Amino acid sequence: MRKTTFPAVLATFVVCFLFWLLLDFSFKPEELIAGAIVSLAVALFSARFFIHEKAGWFFHPLRLIKLLGFWCVTFPVELWKANVDMAKRCFTGCTNINPGIVKVPVDLKSDYGQAALANAITLTPGTMTLDIAEQEGQTYYYIHWIDVTATGEEAGEAIKGRLEKGLKGVWE
Amino acid sequence: MLIRIIADLLIFVGAVFATAGTIGVVKMPDPYSRMQASTCVATLGMLGVMLGALLYAIFVMASASAAIKVCVIAMLIFVTNPVGAHAIVKGAYRHGIRPDKPMEVDDFRRDFDE
Repeated sequence: MRKTTFPAVLATFVVCFLFWLLLDFSFKPEELIAGAIVSLAVALFSARFFIHEKAGWFFHPLRLIKLLGFWCVTFPVELWKANVDMAKRCFTGCTNINPGIVKVPVDLKSDYGQAALANAITLTPGTMTLDIAEQEGQTYYYIHWIDVTATGEEAGEAIKGRLEKGLKGVWE
Repeated sequence: MLIRIIADLLIFVGAVFATAGTIGVVKMPDPYSRMQASTCVATLGMLGVMLGALLYAIFVMASASAAIKVCVIAMLIFVTNPVGAHAIVKGAYRHGIRPDKPMEVDDFRRDFDE
């Protein structure tokens, strides 16, 4: 079990408190104090599960803007293309599919970056991350792909090329 | 009035994608492809409806708290959906469920031969 560190508690507290403000949406002092107490308790108990390294990473405005740019611009564009493709397959009888599981090398180093990329791939219709494996220092994803047209590096470029580029700016 | 029309259009687009995903869930030949089709419902289907609801909350209801709650709902679905989908697919594969028609490329089976 990892130890609870002060920066991790602080970061978790800030996120919890922001969430409280969003859900509660009232700025009376007594509600703010109640929210602060609850957030602090939650942060003390759960910080060690959430944050293992570099607690202040996202309180840097440039990274925050890049992350927002990824989730608000790069990702929706990919999402739209994949969704239109998937909807076409569904409306034309679900017969022109060629499913398979491909192994794809990934260059992201950070655990959080890898998790974000895996989630982005799973959210895109047509691709779905099964597993993450590490062999000889290189990380690989096993991805179920609805229409296999390539393998290895080429498959990686087709599936996650733009997504990975977007996330690299945030985690490096 | 114009805002109402745009919001309705967005909700309609979301419904179209949700319909496509539902057809896919019913008609796809194997469990993995079915999961793939169901992602359509949870992403653009949900996003279209949520954007429509957001416009409605901002311009028709003029309520900031409702708008923020819509954003929070969309965010929570986006965070939780891939985790669940990944767990279901991997669990199914580990359990030994295979498509009737064997997959052409299957690196997972090649590397972790069971």
